[in-house]
Amino acid sequence: MIDAPNGSAPAPAPAPPSPDRSSNPLPPTPDRPLGCVVATERRPNTPHEFHFWTALDSAVGIGTIVRVDGDTPANGVMPRVYGVVVEGFSYTDLQSPLHDVLGHDSSPENTAFAPTRRTEIRLYTAHVLRHLPEEPLQPVPMGRVFLAHDEDVNVALRMDGYLAPDRRTGIPIGVYRAGGTESPVYLDADFLLGPEAAHLNVTGVSGLATKTSAVEWLLQSIFAHFPGSKGSVAAVLFNVKGPDLCFLDLPGEIGTEDEALYARCDVPATPFANVHYFAPYKSDNVTLNTLRSNPALLENVEPLTWGLREVLQYAEVLLNKDDVDAKADALIDFIRERIVDREFHDQALQNGKRYTVRSFADLDAWFRDVIQHLEQKGGESWKTHHVATIRKVRNRLSNISTRCAGLVTDDGSVSDLPFGSFEDRSVYVIDVASVEETAQDLIFARVVSRIREHLERRDLGVKHVVVFVDELNKYAPGDAPDTYVRKMLLDIAERGRYLGLVLFSAQQFRSQVHRRVVGNAGTSLYGRMDADELATPGYSVLSPAIKTKLATLDKGQIMVRHPHFTQPIFVRFPRPAIMRGRDGAERYPQAEARPFDETLLRSLRVLDPSLTLQWMQQAIALHDEPDVLRARNATLRERPSDVKAYFRAQLRPVVTSPGSGTPRPGPAPLRPVAGDDPYGF
Amino acid sequence: MTATRPPEPSPGVVEVRRRLAELEPGTGATGGAGLDIPGGAPDAPRTVVAALLETGGMRAHGVPGHRAPGFAAFLDGTQSSRIVGFVNGIAIVHGTVAAVVRERRAQRMVTWAHAMEQRIYAPLRTLPATYQASLATLGMDIIDTSDDPAPGGGSPAHPFTLRDAAVNRVGRDRDRLEQQLARRWCRAEQRMLFVDGGIAGGGAGTRDPAADAGKDDVVVATAPWVAGVVKSHRTLYAEGDDLLRVFALQAGERSTVFRITSSKRAPVASWYLRLRDPAGQDPMWGLVRVEVADLADRPGSDVAERAAVVSRWILAEVSPLALPDARWDKMVYGVRDCEQFLRAVGSSG
Repeated sequence: MIDAPNGSAPAPAPAPPSPDRSSNPLPPTPDRPLGCVVATERRPNTPHEFHFWTALDSAVGIGTIVRVDGDTPANGVMPRVYGVVVEGFSYTDLQSPLHDVLGHDSSPENTAFAPTRRTEIRLYTAHVLRHLPEEPLQPVPMGRVFLAHDEDVNVALRMDGYLAPDRRTGIPIGVYRAGGTESPVYLDADFLLGPEAAHLNVTGVSGLATKTSAVEWLLQSIFAHFPGSKGSVAAVLFNVKGPDLCFLDLPGEIGTEDEALYARCDVPATPFANVHYFAPYKSDNVTLNTLRSNPALLENVEPLTWGLREVLQYAEVLLNKDDVDAKADALIDFIRERIVDREFHDQALQNGKRYTVRSFADLDAWFRDVIQHLEQKGGESWKTHHVATIRKVRNRLSNISTRCAGLVTDDGSVSDLPFGSFEDRSVYVIDVASVEETAQDLIFARVVSRIREHLERRDLGVKHVVVFVDELNKYAPGDAPDTYVRKMLLDIAERGRYLGLVLFSAQQFRSQVHRRVVGNAGTSLYGRMDADELATPGYSVLSPAIKTKLATLDKGQIMVRHPHFTQPIFVRFPRPAIMRGRDGAERYPQAEARPFDETLLRSLRVLDPSLTLQWMQQAIALHDEPDVLRARNATLRERPSDVKAYFRAQLRPVVTSPGSGTPRPGPAPLRPVAGDDPYGF
Repeated sequence: MTATRPPEPSPGVVEVRRRLAELEPGTGATGGAGLDIPGGAPDAPRTVVAALLETGGMRAHGVPGHRAPGFAAFLDGTQSSRIVGFVNGIAIVHGTVAAVVRERRAQRMVTWAHAMEQRIYAPLRTLPATYQASLATLGMDIIDTSDDPAPGGGSPAHPFTLRDAAVNRVGRDRDRLEQQLARRWCRAEQRMLFVDGGIAGGGAGTRDPAADAGKDDVVVATAPWVAGVVKSHRTLYAEGDDLLRVFALQAGERSTVFRITSSKRAPVASWYLRLRDPAGQDPMWGLVRVEVADLADRPGSDVAERAAVVSRWILAEVSPLALPDARWDKMVYGVRDCEQFLRAVGSSG
């Protein structure tokens, strides 16, 4: 052993580090640099890109926003550049991997014994977000690099332009986090909901709480921050799968971290206050075709039913191009203009019988008479319409009520969205998840068309409407034949912002959606992505590191592109403060199929909880089912104060049989009513 | 510990050339890299017989035991000499010397101390008074080499002799700066310092710790916390069969410890150590000479064990390799890191 200087102590083993050394840097703060800009001839800095190195333990990562302070004034102003890290490199002074092999005698185990690690560099490439001053636009200067703090983030993302107190139009989209910085990131409402730009597209793999959650959160944020001076706003959401959107008005569990994000973004962590649900009936025309059919939640669930007139307006949605040739189109126009809801008579038909076609049943009867007339006289055409065309159109239209059973009523009764009286900061959810595909198309086409018509007339009730459509891969594919729905989506995407009609769309594979639909989205959000999807040309502008990050994003993390942001930014958003679809479906299971009278009672008890099964059985005992359904529809539509009286009044009068003058006792109750049974079973 | 840069950095070579050209038109040297002067003339090769400190004669000793790292820091220095002007055919030399101690902390190298000095070296007595006055305005230390011995016994009036004398002086300044940092380490630390080169320094010791205690020059040479590793073998401390035994050392073997004494330097204990397998290489390949304080007379000191311990520590440094440095067979990575550092901060030539 080696002696100490005085010869008394042995030489020590390598000692712990001294406290006052130049490495082990303190964590960066707004005042302490975290790196330095470097440039070489082979890798120079440009006005849009620069490079910098940091300590090995710096808080920099892909997506970190940094600030470069130049030290040489340009035009008398000290330049300041903001950038976002898009790529990182790490290497040592090792010239050849072979040197490392030689150095460790070809044994990886020996690497553990190496006393010294090679000098290593962490070199980052950043894309410029903003230069200050903007002119003259010069390459990024050599300078020290700092982590961006709150104010830097605002300036770097040009949010300072729309966060000014007197013209604030910022909508929080989430929180940017890096190295202790936690800054809210705002979208510009003028560029999200129009008129400057509009529309939002979300893409990401399924099942990671990205697409639907992001839209739910953003709607909460819009409702909390959309400035009143910009007008009113409502949202129409099409629930196309599962129970995701079925419990927006119920509180969900969120963690403390999410609560902090809500607080940071100044958005109340509460469910939507004003939600209206609409769903067609099932084919039995009695039970609502929605996962939100639990009796405890029916308060704000209304049926969505349309009659012949409503359907014929969008017949082209339901009929494919082979069906709707010029001849068929002409006959449908004739029916729409001359037959439906008008008194029609033709001397040749049933000796001048007067027809009033208001329902599919009426229409079918009219078709039957026309064809019978042609068969009797042996003619081939009626009013220039060939019998084959008439037969085809009858076949197709009659089939609609079958294909869209539950949505289309035979009796022509209509229960619709409250067009004209939309309420500010309200959500209208149309549950079409369990509806046949054709009916989904019809619902989408008609609802959006009606919204558009009202917005054009400025009488919808609100100034802006956000329409959310999920599964854009299905409804607006890029490589499939044109459909009515895709045309409508294109129309919204290209012209909707002038009207205040804003499309929020989502899909798993952005590359497979029609380019004009996603291309017109001013704002795009990206959740975790498939590597295959990221390999498509649409993502070629992203660096490999950004793609890697996209492929590994956590729940609640998204990459945001927005017109004000010159580069994509990663943010974290909180879990929506609403009940998740899966939780809601477990806590509020679907109503079980019940007998006709019980189901009927359930739907009317929403209007009058005092109704009992006994009363209902007595009321409908002598009426056939279509008559009862018509009375129910009318009652639900009218929402009268005296439900019992109104419902009874809608039932057709019953013609008493001879000898029935003697009053007979009513039917005895099946069993006594249990006091604690809400349905009186 | 922080670097000891001067508060006002001395003007660099280009700045000195520019200012001299202004002050003394026609004397400036602007030839760029061609005016760089390589290191001073090497010593003539020689062999020296040294007294052995172990019994059994000069022979190979194995270095048993686990090769755990034992060095906490590494010290190396650099020098560069550039001509900034000619006056009457005599070169005015700008010299830069620098040294650094790089500490190893959690297997990473960080700077413990760094020093750099820049000076003008010239035989002032041969220069016109006006030029001397101009040099004085540069605000730099001016080193007069008029009385320095002529290197290699050359003619004192030959411009190359005067130039080489300046370069040698730069080299001595480098040694001094390295010694300064080494002393600072010895006074502040009790952990092992790996010095690239010898540790004997320029002061003559007495081998009496009490007598040497107050002498700055011998602090490093007598400190048990310092080991010097010499890569150059212009002087071999063995002759005849002993030298053959040194050449025959296998990888991981050391020679018998011997004492190096000099009238100008403090005595040190030294031995040869083969870092790498020399098969197929020249006899000096992978061969270094280790210097430590000569503590043979101290009570309880075991020369053989010290040599074994220090050798183990040095052998532990054989990886990572110092490639691509051409001297990688003898150079440890910590020293290469020092050189890289000095090159990066502009302290080396």
